[in-house]
Order: sequence, then structure tokens, then C-alpha cells
Amino acid sequence: MKMKKVLATFLAGSMILTLAACGSSGSGTSSAAASTAESAAESTADTSDKTSEATAGKSDAKTKLVIWTQAKDLQTFADKYVESNPDVQIQTVVIEPANYVTKVQTALNGGQTEPDIIVGEPQMLQDFYDADYFEDLDQQPYNAKQYDGQIVDYVWKAGQSSDGHQKAISYQITPAGIYYRRDIAKKVLGTDDPDQVGEYFKDYKTVLSTAQKMKDAGYRIFASDGEMSYFAGNSAWVQDDKLNVDQARKDYMDLCINLYKNDLTAYASQWSTPWYQAMSGSIPILSADVQNGTDSNVNVWADKDTFSAATKDNQTTEVFAYGLPSWGVLILRDNVGATSGKWGVCAGPSSGFGGGTFIGISKLSKQKEAAWDFLKFCTLNEDTANWWIEKSQGDTVSLKSVLDQHKDDANEVYGGEKLYTFWLNQAEKIDYSKVTKYDTAIGNAWADAIAAIKTGQSTQEDAINNFYDVVSSTYPEITIDR
Amino acid sequence: MKTNTKRKNLNNVAYIFIIPFVVVFAVFSVYPVLRTLYLSFTSYKGFGAPTFIGLKNYIRVFSDKFFWISFLNTVKIWGINIVVQLGTAFLLTIIFSDIRYKMRGLSIFRAVYYLPNLISAVSVAFLFKTLLDWKYGSINQILMAIGLTKTPINWLGQVTTAPNVTALISAWMWFGNSFIILMAGVQGISKDYFEAASLDGAGRWKTFTNITVPLLRPIILYVFVTSLIGGLQMFDIPFLISGGTAGAPSGSLQTVVMYLYKFGFETNQVGYAAAIAYTLFLIILVISIIQFKTIGKEDK
Repeated sequence: MKMKKVLATFLAGSMILTLAACGSSGSGTSSAAASTAESAAESTADTSDKTSEATAGKSDAKTKLVIWTQAKDLQTFADKYVESNPDVQIQTVVIEPANYVTKVQTALNGGQTEPDIIVGEPQMLQDFYDADYFEDLDQQPYNAKQYDGQIVDYVWKAGQSSDGHQKAISYQITPAGIYYRRDIAKKVLGTDDPDQVGEYFKDYKTVLSTAQKMKDAGYRIFASDGEMSYFAGNSAWVQDDKLNVDQARKDYMDLCINLYKNDLTAYASQWSTPWYQAMSGSIPILSADVQNGTDSNVNVWADKDTFSAATKDNQTTEVFAYGLPSWGVLILRDNVGATSGKWGVCAGPSSGFGGGTFIGISKLSKQKEAAWDFLKFCTLNEDTANWWIEKSQGDTVSLKSVLDQHKDDANEVYGGEKLYTFWLNQAEKIDYSKVTKYDTAIGNAWADAIAAIKTGQSTQEDAINNFYDVVSSTYPEITIDR
Repeated sequence: MKTNTKRKNLNNVAYIFIIPFVVVFAVFSVYPVLRTLYLSFTSYKGFGAPTFIGLKNYIRVFSDKFFWISFLNTVKIWGINIVVQLGTAFLLTIIFSDIRYKMRGLSIFRAVYYLPNLISAVSVAFLFKTLLDWKYGSINQILMAIGLTKTPINWLGQVTTAPNVTALISAWMWFGNSFIILMAGVQGISKDYFEAASLDGAGRWKTFTNITVPLLRPIILYVFVTSLIGGLQMFDIPFLISGGTAGAPSGSLQTVVMYLYKFGFETNQVGYAAAIAYTLFLIILVISIIQFKTIGKEDK
């Protein structure tokens, strides 16, 4: 009889366990928030994260073009284009970045003649060239070679396949820069001049000492160590089929580790609520555990009110600088609030760039000439570029002549700094031959190694050895000298 | 003569009835399986034409350290899972099948135990991520309140605990399923055996080891093999628990299929991913044959 009681308890217990778990509801923060935020930020017009369609022009138009893209920019371009081309109708399909590549692959591998125009970001372009998705723009009737020299060099080169044929062209340039607060610079560094402030960011070691200066004065140099990701190094990851980890990569690693370990940042991840908040004023200083997600009491992806309530007892600080490509101008424009006019932009420790929409014609399109006309309209037309600068309120176009026309434009958010001249200078330093198709995977593995070291999961030696192992198993064709 | 033709016609009609299934099966199962086999001998990148490279992908799989690490991770998680899953299911089966206890409400218990299996893996993963949260999860709060631990345990963030916890979550999801199958097997055994044993004075343990287990052997084999096939293909729970990364913490949750996913969908090496899939298939095949030979042997 006693046995039966024990049994009954056990059965009831396991029943409660299953039922209890069914009843409670789980909630979690997804790291997808970060990528969504990033893609939203990369588009200059407002972006939704779902597939959306917009049609510009009359339904009885003679020619119908279909564009597949990742951001709403091209919808705006299409609206403008049909104003002067009434016999063309353009359907622009905006596809969520996470699904974009798969969708393009499926459509083009399956021989679909739609879309007529596809876009690519730098990290996917090489694969698209290898797959032969784009029409060769060097041949008749396009003769893209005649436009050589009109577009900023690195963007023009990024549009070329490895055998040097022009396949895609972009209307924008995306060189990276350091966005800094002039008022803080003046107080701590004694100057707010972009060239002189740039000296405090000239290499990774100097950035570290600048970070210490900022902390000593009660500020934080960056929201988090992720801010340096666009300046991760100037060298190519793979050279002549050999893995190349130069001293600058190791210095970059040391910088990230030191920023994290010595509490030199506010531990606010890029694209999170406090990250945006710091653009307009002070934010709470978080902890390393919050940044790497092990302390879930503070949800940095929550809305402003929830976030402030969770951090009301934290010490606060102001953030000195952000590292972002030229489209960061548009993000700051919407978030600086009362600090407008107090910003400046200077060069970082290396030349980097981030993103950019490259437009090409699908090889299977039946409307190639109409597509080429639209492509030229978006990328090689001075009037469009001037209109786009106005319309996007500060995006940086790729047409050299237009950048030259705007070289004396003073941007009031940045204390009257001539940003177009600055971005053109930065873009000219970018050497696109250093970009390889391995960069995403190897860059991620290097970032994983840095994360493992800074959070104490492994020693520097183990993490670097593991990095070599990961690279060699992912790309056996690369030779590695350890 | 007339009836003969009629029968023949009827036979032909049967073929028409099975066409829908055969077509769907051929398009969505047979073709992908064969296509994957072909791709595993090529350097296909997901686009363009596949280039035939012979056994190179398979040689690479066998010399790939991370493949074997992923395989060991998978076996470890599955191993703990199957012990807990089958252990619990067996215990429940013994309790419910023992004629001396005369347990009532079997159908209610069966339904309740099966419930976790009905929740989608995504929900289960997030549910446990919340419950097992390092600093604010209910499990740690309870453990601290009753004094079992002073500091919260980082269940999902440590190499020592994360795989075990993942195994327990899988066991929790699947024990009801195993229980139903084992129970059905036990109910298929004639009551005469148990009564005879009882009359002969056999105790519970003797009855269990000498009657229940031998007669359940085919069922146990079935549960084992299906669990192995599912277990070695484990993907959703570890993938979600490690937040879509390469098996955080420190790769301890990276399973074979997660490793395959990396090549098939992240680095455009579809040919290599196909070779990993077929290597996994061969491993499962070999282990299944061994299981059949050992567990099924004494039946003959």
C-alpha cells in the first residue's frame, strides 16, 4: 500500500512537470534583432523587414521591368524614373535580406526571366559573378567601359568579376569613418578639428590610449568594442591562396580585448536601444555580462522605457564616438536630437567600407535594354545623383562629378563639416583588390576568436589555433602557416 | 474469361489510386536523395554547373577534425538523452503494466505524457532558455531558494552543463512517445504469461526481466533505432539554444547537421554538405545494422 502512495506521487509529479511546462510561456531576445536593425539602417529610405512590392508607372505601359532588391531605395528611384519614362512600368520587390540570396539563386538557377534587375551587396557579389547571374556590361549595346573613371574607383572595381568584366554598378559609396562629439573632443583632447582628432584614431594602439583618456575624463570612447568592426584591417585575408594574418589584425584583436576587459566602453551593442540613445545624450554604463548576453536582467533590445527602468540605478556616461560607413550620416540625422551640430567625422585606423547596393541586369532578362536604361539612370546620371542627395538627405553618391559639385556643402549636424569631400578622400584610400570571397567566413572566425579570448573562454594561443583549424576545415584549399 | 479481364482491369485501377503518393514520394523524397548522392561527388556551390571531383569530399569529411567533434557532440547528447528517455518510459511502463497495481486512468496519463511532443521545437527551446536562464531563470531561483546552490548555475553557457541539459530537454520531449509505444507493446503480451508467473511466485523484477523485456524486444529495437535516426540528425533544439551560432558555448552544442548547415547554407559548399549528409547516413546505417544484430538476435 505504501508503494502505491509513492507511485501515485511519482505519476502526479511527472504529470505536473509536463503540464506546468505547457502552461508557462517563453519569451526570448533574438539576436536577429541586431541583423534586422542593421539592414534597416543600411537602407536610406524606411525599410520594412518583410517582402513588399511597389509598382511605379501605368499598368498599360509598353515595357514592364521587375526589380528584386533588399531596401526600399530602388522603389524611390523607380518612382522618379517613370516620371520621365511614361512607357515603362517598374515593379520593385523588396526582399528580406536573410532570404534574398536564396530567392535569387532559386529564380535564376530555375531559368526564370523575372527579375530583370537584381542587386548585390559586396559580400555576395563574387558568388553572383561566379554563378554568371549578371549580364556583361562591357559588351554591346552597353559598352560600360566608356564610363570608366566617372564612378569612384573602389565601387567601379567592386562591380567587376575576377576577369575584369563590368557586371554591376552602385549609385553610392560607403567608406567608413569615425563620427565623434566635437564638444567632448575639445574638452578632453583640446581640439575638435577632424584632422587633429583623426590623429587620436590613427592606429589601434593610439585608439586604446585615447579610450583610456576618455574614461579618465568620465566619458566612454565607444558604446562597445563592436564599433571598430569596420576598421578591422587593411590587408587581404587570403593572398596567393595563403592565409594572411598580419600584425595589424593582431593589434586589432588586442584593441578589442582591452576595450572590453578594461571597461573602456559602455558595453552597449551596436543597434541596441542604448546605442541609439547615446547619440543624443547620456546612457547608463552596462556590464560585460549584459553585452555578451549572459545577464538578461537588462534587455538592450527592449523599448526605451523598459530599458531605462531596468538600468535606473546604473552610473551614466556620454559616448564619444561611433565607427560607421557613410550611411551612418542618415542614422545620426534621425537620432542626434539636441547634440545636432556638435558632431564631426574623421578617419579611422584603417580604410574600410560597409555595404552598398550594386545594381546589375539578370542574364536571363528579356528586357535588357530597358533595364540598362534604368541602371544608367540610377548610377551614371548627374541629375539623378543630385536629386538623390536631396531626396535621401545626405546619402553619399558614387558619381565623382556630383561629389565634386557638392564638395563645399556644409553639413550642419557636423558643425558645418564638408562631408562629401571627406568621404571621397576616404573612398580613394580603399583598395578593393584586398577584398576576397573568403572575407565573411574568415572575418567571423576571427571575431569568434576575439570573443572567446575577451570573455575568458579560452587563452589567446588556443583561440588563435582554433581559428586556424576553423579556416582550414572551412576552406581546405587555403594554405596556413602557423 | 470475362471475370479474368475484369480482375485485370481492377488491378490497373489500383495503380491509378497510388499515383498521387508515388509522384509526391518520387519528387520530394527519391529525387532529392539521389540528387544529394550525385552532388556529394561534385564541388557544387549552389549555383552554376556541378563539377565531378570523385571521392575528394568524402576524404575531406573523414579527415575533418570538426566533423568528428560534431559527431561526438551529437553522440554524447543523444546518449544521455536515450538513457533518460527510455529509462523513464520503461519505469512508467512497469508501473502501468503491473497487474497488481491495477492503475487507472491510463489514457489520461498517456495523453499528458505525450503533450511535450506536440509543442514545436522552437517553443520548447525558448521555454527552456527562459527557465534555465543564468541569473533570472526560475530553475536557478528555485535551487537557490531551497539552498541547493548558493550561486546561480549557468546551465546553457558552460561546456560541462549545456550538452547534458540539451539531452534532458530532448528526453523530456520524447519520453511520452516511447512510453506509448512500449505500453502498446506490453498490452500486446498475453496476460496469461503474467498470471502464470505470478502463480509460480515470480517477483516484480523476475517478471520484468524474464517476461516483459524478452517479449518486448522487437518494440525496444524499434524505439531504439528510430531514436537513433532522429537523434543523430538533431538540429533544432541545439541550434536554437546556442542562438544560431556555431554551437556556443565553445562549439559544445554543434551537432553534425548544424555542421552540415554551415557548409550548405553559409559558405556555399553544397557538394561538401552533401558528402557530410551521406557520411552521416552511412554511420546511421552501420549502427542500425549492429543494433539489429545484437538486440534482435535471440528472437530466432
